[in-house]
Amino acid sequence: MNDKKIDPFLASVIHGALEDIALEMGQKLMRMSYSSIIRESEDFGTALTDQTGRQLCECTMSTPLQSGPIPGYVMGVLEELKGRGDAVKPGDIFMHNDPYNGASHGPDVGFLVPVFSNNDLVGFSVTTAHHLDVGALTPGSCGIVDAVDAYAEGLQFKAVRVYENNKKVEPVWQILRSNIRMPDLVVGDMEAQVSAARIGAERFNDLIQKYGLETITAAYENLLDYSETLMRKAINEVPDGTYYAETFIDGFLDSEDENLKDIKIAASINVTGSNLTVDLEGTSKQIDNKPINMPFVGTVDCAIWLTLRSILLDSNEFGSIPQNSGLTRPIDITAPLGSLANPIFPAPVIARFCPGNAVADTVMKAMSQAVPEKVSAGIGNLRVVAFSGGRADSQWVHMEIMEGSYGGRYGQDGMDAVDTLYANTRNNPIEDIESHLPLRVLKYELREADAGHGKWRGGLGTVRLFEFLDDGAISIEGDGHKYEPWGFDGGASGSTAEINLVEQSNNKSSLPSKIPYKPIPVGTKIEVLGPNGGGYGSKSERDPELIKSDLENEIITEKIAKDEYNMIL
Amino acid sequence: MYSIGIDVGGTFTDFFCFDHSDQKTFVYKTASTPDDPSKAVCAGLEALLTKYSIKATDVSTIFHGTTVGTNSILEGKGAKVGLITNSGFRDILHIGRHQRPQHYSIGQEIPWQNRALIERKFRKTVNCRLDSSGNEITPLDEKSILAHLEFFEENNVNSVLIAFLFSYRNNAHERRVSELVRDQMPNAFVTTSSSVSPQFREFERFTTGAVAAFIGPKVTGYIDNLSLTLKKICQNAELRIMTSSGGLATPEMIMRHPELTLLSGLVAGANAGLWLASKKKMKNLITLDIGGTSADISIINNGQLNEVSSRNASISGYPVQLPMIDIHTIGAGGGSIARVDAGGGFKVGPESAGASPGPACYNLGGSKPTVTDANLVLGRLLGDRILDGRMTLDSQIAETSLKEVSSTLGSNINQTALGTISVLNNNMASAIRSRTIQKGIDPRDFSLCAFGGGGPLQAVGVAEILGINEVIVPQAPGIMCAFGLLISRVEYHSVKTLLMTKTQFNLSTLNETLSEMKSYLTSIFERDKADTKLICFEAFTDLRYVGQGYELKVPLNSDVLKLEDLEQVWDAFHKQHKQEYGHNFLSADIEMVSVKLKAQIKKENSSDEFSFENSIDETVSRLNLPNTKVEFSIDGKPQSFETEIIDRKTLTGGTQKAGPNVIYQEDSTTVVPPGWTMSVDDDLTLRLRKLDNNNE
Repeated sequence: MNDKKIDPFLASVIHGALEDIALEMGQKLMRMSYSSIIRESEDFGTALTDQTGRQLCECTMSTPLQSGPIPGYVMGVLEELKGRGDAVKPGDIFMHNDPYNGASHGPDVGFLVPVFSNNDLVGFSVTTAHHLDVGALTPGSCGIVDAVDAYAEGLQFKAVRVYENNKKVEPVWQILRSNIRMPDLVVGDMEAQVSAARIGAERFNDLIQKYGLETITAAYENLLDYSETLMRKAINEVPDGTYYAETFIDGFLDSEDENLKDIKIAASINVTGSNLTVDLEGTSKQIDNKPINMPFVGTVDCAIWLTLRSILLDSNEFGSIPQNSGLTRPIDITAPLGSLANPIFPAPVIARFCPGNAVADTVMKAMSQAVPEKVSAGIGNLRVVAFSGGRADSQWVHMEIMEGSYGGRYGQDGMDAVDTLYANTRNNPIEDIESHLPLRVLKYELREADAGHGKWRGGLGTVRLFEFLDDGAISIEGDGHKYEPWGFDGGASGSTAEINLVEQSNNKSSLPSKIPYKPIPVGTKIEVLGPNGGGYGSKSERDPELIKSDLENEIITEKIAKDEYNMIL
Repeated sequence: MYSIGIDVGGTFTDFFCFDHSDQKTFVYKTASTPDDPSKAVCAGLEALLTKYSIKATDVSTIFHGTTVGTNSILEGKGAKVGLITNSGFRDILHIGRHQRPQHYSIGQEIPWQNRALIERKFRKTVNCRLDSSGNEITPLDEKSILAHLEFFEENNVNSVLIAFLFSYRNNAHERRVSELVRDQMPNAFVTTSSSVSPQFREFERFTTGAVAAFIGPKVTGYIDNLSLTLKKICQNAELRIMTSSGGLATPEMIMRHPELTLLSGLVAGANAGLWLASKKKMKNLITLDIGGTSADISIINNGQLNEVSSRNASISGYPVQLPMIDIHTIGAGGGSIARVDAGGGFKVGPESAGASPGPACYNLGGSKPTVTDANLVLGRLLGDRILDGRMTLDSQIAETSLKEVSSTLGSNINQTALGTISVLNNNMASAIRSRTIQKGIDPRDFSLCAFGGGGPLQAVGVAEILGINEVIVPQAPGIMCAFGLLISRVEYHSVKTLLMTKTQFNLSTLNETLSEMKSYLTSIFERDKADTKLICFEAFTDLRYVGQGYELKVPLNSDVLKLEDLEQVWDAFHKQHKQEYGHNFLSADIEMVSVKLKAQIKKENSSDEFSFENSIDETVSRLNLPNTKVEFSIDGKPQSFETEIIDRKTLTGGTQKAGPNVIYQEDSTTVVPPGWTMSVDDDLTLRLRKLDNNNE
């Protein structure tokens, strides 16, 4: 805790100013970027940090999984430079995506602009964003589930200086242009990141000019303390103790190698006073040649922070709380080296999206024993499907994130048909898809009847049915086909996800949750069933009014009402 | 002949009456009647007519802003709605864009799920489907509809929405079903997604339709009843209703399209700001309307009010695809409460003491310190001059209310009061930044126009933070919304989705579409019995680079385009893209997503004739008050200044005074701090300028 005194009113004003800067950076990045993944899906992050990488503020529009890792990017760059005997100089701008040194995974590239005051390094302005391609073995940056090591995932940037003395380091940009597919789009997005980070640095500098470094430092120390205080208060209210949970992910269900399937994620949470530790001991060993390992810093730590924050400082109850490094101070995270959650280079990590969300879910499962009123039962995980097709001059790629659902919650049913825990993207309108791509959407509805039963039932996933109107292909990076979302406190478990291929002959076959590039002939349909969340509490305690309403709304069938809920019809 | 603007606010219903024959203005205020707003409207109207001896038959037009639709959505009290949609797509309204409103929350509600406008049991499907060009791939199965309608009737559904995919391309199926519904359920409100918003993006279009159906019976009932009652009072008066786009509509139009009233009660103030900007020849103006619980902000950029971008348009968490002026409302006003929160941080608002119990100094039972209490303690409000002395504020109680926060923070009362004002002002500046700096607009190129009871009290503080050097305060800041109604015009909009790219462009399709839209809008004006010779059209198009997900609105210079006009349109888009996003792609293909046509009826007599000049109520005596001590913050430290107290009624055109001074009037107080000067325009508008930049 810092002991420097600052006028509380001025502190409040400076806190607002810092948030405005991160927001302005986000607005600029979103507006300047070339690709829809940043502008539409909002898969980007912006933040300011101090000179050591402690996060001071983040853009509220950005995706949690992009802004959360920013401190790791800064610390990674500082460590890398130290190892090289190098240091940050005024006029430098760095590019970084090393998942073994702070970055979230290869496609999420960070750009860092240092801020100086009287020649002393005082902070960083940072932007991160998901790029459509970083030169991996096959086109794109999702569904690359067959990368054998870190080198197969694309270009690796380890604290690469892309500007020096405020001048572009041209050779670096040349390498980018010649090794990335769709360079206009991707390099354009990178340039947008640089511009947005520069604006942040400029504004940060203006703020220092206006109030003086000492006041700004005191104000953000106060801000970090403030967030820390809130988190400590929240942890303090959690009963002391150790809470353990484990879950399993599919891995590669169609593989003959048993080591690639049924992969365990374990989390042990200890609460002592206002401190909380999370230990992932017991999690399966890393997989040396499949990219579902998770970077410890940048994916695992963020998944845990975000989940704990959503449970303990739920914004629905606490309002919007400044996201900064103070919030994570009371939390310590460890994972055994060489495990899926702390792999050793060069194990591949590019498809860490679904396992990371499973870590988040496991942490919630452990916390459910400590704060049962603040959690949901098991969530349904997500699946990323890349549709593609076309010929040389008219290639197209279309990415859809297939939503999951939440488990039942204390006092209310689970959320239906949403992205879960650390992900929060947007789908594409059917009328947009069909107007632009040789795809037809035949169904997009709630998946009835299969929710986890309970006092408060799990949320419903969706059923989506796509038809290829021309020859094309799919790649799939998903999970949750084998293990059902867990029920809580007597609630039933939810239902697994499914992906089916319906041939023109109406022959239906089921697909595994991970598929590298697979050609699909015209007239074929892809049916995607989203998971339904787990139930919360015993179904015998469900309010008859809710059962009646579910029946009327055709969320459950009469048979379920009778057999599961003993309702007399 | 008289025109009367009637604005219904949360606390007061305001009347602004203009006598066209001798250019006189009359104003009147009465307490609102939230249970049935038309009560205060009618009672107030009668009182106004009596007070100023106006002959009821001489009233030619009544302009009205209503919050009936807005409140119906905000409070979740609306119709029992049924939906008829395509098989396979029953839950479009429920799934939405599959994004949670809050990143960090397990317990959050999802408005379109937890507060569904149409319950799942009333969402019914029928076999029918169009492709993306509007061609039928599955014909409409009419036979299956009857059973749905019987179910609706059994369950007292009183409003029905028909919403099909691609109906913006071809509305035949929606129209046919709506005929069937009207036949079967003659008393129900019936609407279709294509009539409400013929634009692509099914979730947003269907939701807009659902909003219309949800508020439909209530709004149409209110307007129907109000027209009848007003006809009884003023037999010759035509009623005109404010719409969210800043234009007026006839009651007949609102009966068909109640969704146009979503922001009816909010936009009139922005229109008044626009009128003032044009009168003062100011191209850039930010309006700041501060009331008891909230502040409304609008931006006039280059002579136009900013509209909400289609991506951000929503009400109460439901997305809507409608032309709406961008009124940014934040929870910051006189009643905003100052407090120290759980983490030890100092916060002001959004919690508000409201009108009841109100700020502590009202002495109506409130004990929490508010912005009004802080202003009173600092000497910026005159406790005995509120509403010309009809209300008094107790500064002793105000001081007491601030004690607890002060001692928690270890500061004194004045510091806490100044801190409260400073944090409030910063919150408002932050809201303005989100609509300017963050969109590539520099607020320093703007003046700030302050109105509402609290606007002129805070405006200079907010301006200082943003680097704005000029604040203007209209002559009657408390009735700007009622005035704004009076100077607005009847205006209708039409929109069509095209999705046509530059490389495969068919100019005649565009011109045919525009011509269809023109005849459609003209037919509405004919229905209104308006003089169609007075219609003026403005055409716009929404463009994006192929592959982009959101569009920019670009004006079309004509409603019949030639090839060279089209080139100008593409050029304008590239330019605007660069201005808004910092770059453009000159060689990329452009997609014309939709075309929009706006039709306005020009006023026969220009609106410039209106002024507030004769609105002074001469019956209230003028007082000469002695100077008092007022606290201001100088370099972050409280400092006391001998301050002149001025009765606004004594100020005449040409007067100039250096700050600090406090100018009071019946329903507002203007604060001019040290370092600023005040001058009075001939129309009695106050102009406050920062001294350093005042050396012309």
